[in-house]
Amino acid sequence: MDATILNLLRDPAGVPFYPVVFQGLYVLTWALHIAFVLLALGSMGLSIYGSTQQKSDSNWKLLTPHLIQTGKLSISILIVLGVAPLLFTQVIYDPNWYTTNALSGIWIFIFIYALIVGYLMYYWYYYANKAGRASNTLIGTISFAILVFCGVLMHNFAVESIQPDKWLAWYAPNGVVDTSGLNFHYDLIRLAFMVSLVIPVLGIFLQNYSDFLSTRKDFTSKYIEFTKKLGTKTAVGGLLVSAVLFILWMLQENMLLSVISLATIAGVVVLLLMAKMNKNSYITTVVLVVVALLISGVREIIRYNLMADHGYNIYTYTMNIDWPSTIMFLLTFLFLGVTGVAFILRMAWKVGKNEGTVFDGQNDKLTRVLGTATLWILVAWMGIYFAWGMFTLFKNTLV
Amino acid sequence: MDMLGLFPVFYFPEFGTAWLMGITGTIHVLFSHTSVGAAILFAFLAHKAYKEDRADLYVYMKKYGMFLLIFSYVLGSITGPGIWYTATAASPRGISALIHNFVWVWATEWVFFVYEVIGVFALVYFIGKIDRKTHLKLTYTFALASVGTLALIIGIISFMMWPGADAYFTTGSASDAFFGVNTFPHMFLRIGFMIMMSAVIGIFIASAMKKENPPLAQELTKKMGVVAIFGGFMTLFFFMWYINTLPESSHVLLSRLLPGIIMSRLILTGVFTAYFALAIFKPTWIHKSLAASMIVVILVAGLWPGEKLRESLRKPFVAGQYIYSNQIIGRDVPGKGIKSEVEVVAKNGLLKVSPFVPESLRVITPENKLQAGELLAKMACSNCHSLDKNGKYRPLSKLFPMNDKGALVSYMKDVIGTGSVPYMPKIVLPDDEYDAIATWLVEKNK
Ligand code: HEM
Repeated sequence: MDATILNLLRDPAGVPFYPVVFQGLYVLTWALHIAFVLLALGSMGLSIYGSTQQKSDSNWKLLTPHLIQTGKLSISILIVLGVAPLLFTQVIYDPNWYTTNALSGIWIFIFIYALIVGYLMYYWYYYANKAGRASNTLIGTISFAILVFCGVLMHNFAVESIQPDKWLAWYAPNGVVDTSGLNFHYDLIRLAFMVSLVIPVLGIFLQNYSDFLSTRKDFTSKYIEFTKKLGTKTAVGGLLVSAVLFILWMLQENMLLSVISLATIAGVVVLLLMAKMNKNSYITTVVLVVVALLISGVREIIRYNLMADHGYNIYTYTMNIDWPSTIMFLLTFLFLGVTGVAFILRMAWKVGKNEGTVFDGQNDKLTRVLGTATLWILVAWMGIYFAWGMFTLFKNTLV
Repeated sequence: MDMLGLFPVFYFPEFGTAWLMGITGTIHVLFSHTSVGAAILFAFLAHKAYKEDRADLYVYMKKYGMFLLIFSYVLGSITGPGIWYTATAASPRGISALIHNFVWVWATEWVFFVYEVIGVFALVYFIGKIDRKTHLKLTYTFALASVGTLALIIGIISFMMWPGADAYFTTGSASDAFFGVNTFPHMFLRIGFMIMMSAVIGIFIASAMKKENPPLAQELTKKMGVVAIFGGFMTLFFFMWYINTLPESSHVLLSRLLPGIIMSRLILTGVFTAYFALAIFKPTWIHKSLAASMIVVILVAGLWPGEKLRESLRKPFVAGQYIYSNQIIGRDVPGKGIKSEVEVVAKNGLLKVSPFVPESLRVITPENKLQAGELLAKMACSNCHSLDKNGKYRPLSKLFPMNDKGALVSYMKDVIGTGSVPYMPKIVLPDDEYDAIATWLVEKNK
């Protein structure tokens, strides 16, 4: 595909704001998406092992259902977090995204139904495990395999979209057009690296878990020690594997000595030391988030450079700035996003720390204020929405 | 040479690609409406439970919150991106138009989604773990956020039908595109349906707990019956208003379909009124199997035809009355600097202006004519018609069973090519391309 055509495939409506903002939001939200992908697959994978151990081992008997619950929540969250990069990628890289969707149309369809079946089976696994049925391991394993397969499909879309020079050959091999949407392509090293991250993320999560529960008296110190050790072992081993794969990937992309790649490697070394010492796992998690953002940045730089080489520069996208909708997003994101999420997380933290008693949110100032604020923000939001809508309608139809 | 930004075609054999979207869309409509309705219902129950200090209602909420909320939210949140993905594969430029007009609206909706997805787990799992007043606050915010997602998506799907006023075409503004004349009727039509849906599911749940707690089951069935009648009435009322806010282009098709629609809606209304009356007056008669069957009836007899109708009425466009179903831009939108592409296609032909056509097919020859004809049919027609002989979705071979190539060419040229069928795009092609399509179709019909 030459530059003229790539630019022609852009939407003639242009973009409603500065492209760099969409790019930034893409990097940020994809990092969040992948964080929960990794946590979901990691806790799920380990829970399957746990499901084979829990009969004879009291530690695993406690840990396994907690891992299953973590997986359950994380899948839901990874899905909703995936929506944002899905949105932003098609604003600025629409030629890439739409071509890929058409070339792999049938996989797109399969992806959705595989995800539905995989997640429903996960609930089945959850209930089977709760009821102590022997079939739980098998059900969990199938569900796990399906969800990993969903990730492989995601990877397929990602790597297809950054190979514009091959699109035509994939669509019409030897000049014969193929509209079946069956294209499937992968990049083994990149995929292996992404999957390998499951291990360190799981390890650091286990360290957090053990720190979180250590203040609760209803968990024995033996159990806390067990999860702590398991976390450290997993995190350290996983980080080493991921680091090797990252270096291989960067060699393949010819990017090893780039600033961002070196920064990522430095970040991993810091993580390795922190995970090994395991003094305060919450701080380790903060570093992990930074490293996730760097990895997300690496992905974007690969794509940006590659497209720039083809003569496609996102920064030259035609702009038709739309202030009202931009402002709506920014205000909603800041007010509702921050306050609302903080409200629920505050409750979750408090409920988690409470041992069996009811948490009285009315007595906790932060919870009370956040809850009331969220409610009023939503009421105000609705008011503004209708006022704005009626004003627009009157202006356009009556005046 | 003028080229256009047309993407590769993805065609699903026998059914056509739009059909794949229809399935996912219908499932999504069921779950998304149920989930928003359930959020409203939950707020109502939580309010009642708090004010009247009803411990039994909390038990009900906890037990069935799992099914009602989490299940519908989970499936709603997967099928939501699901429609989006499949719609992208079927109509890339249609989706692109929506994204590029409304990215910030969607991004705002996403903030609401994030709140909902973590909120839904909090709502169910925190019952009995946090104090009731805080929980009540949570249910209120959750219901408002759920209605917020509807408020945001409704302007976008109404724009798919049409911008609803001419202003958008000259200003290109997202607000003018979003708030058209049919945005609000459409919104309240759906809110009515959501309320009805949540009550229908509520009846099912109440019927399932008849054994454990008969008085509560009865009380809830009666209440849900009343709620359902209210929701159903609201749906019908706003449906009538909604129909009158549709664009000119849909009237031809509508006048043909309306008698059938009215008949089937009357029957459905009768059946459901009887069912809800039964819930109110004879709650004990409602068995689990009846309650479950009624949900299926709604899906099959209510939603599937409803969504198909909405899709048909939008024709010949897929978005904003400027992107034709076959991905070609059908009119100018000066506000965004968008130009109609019909003329460029007419002058050069589709094969020459599409970037993804292999070089060997750019010029039609006797050798490649059939192949070119098939590709042209895929590009120009397959978004709305199956191309296979016994295809399921408005198959071309059934609509044009003839072997008379000349008649086919003149139909395409004089009827479709002049834009005389209001629900089909104006497809103007050079003679050799019409000829190739006709040659391919005649061959197919043999
Ligand atoms: C179990 C389900 C899922 C798994 C395991 C998964 C995993 C992944 C992985 C491994 C990647 C990186 C691929 C690469 O760069 O090579 C990725 C990218 C991505 N995922 Fe997911 N994902 C899942 C579900 C979803 C869903 C439901 C959505 C949308 C709602 C989504 C949206 C995205 C997007 C937009 C990207 C970036 C694609 C690109 O930039 O080219 N994912 N996902």
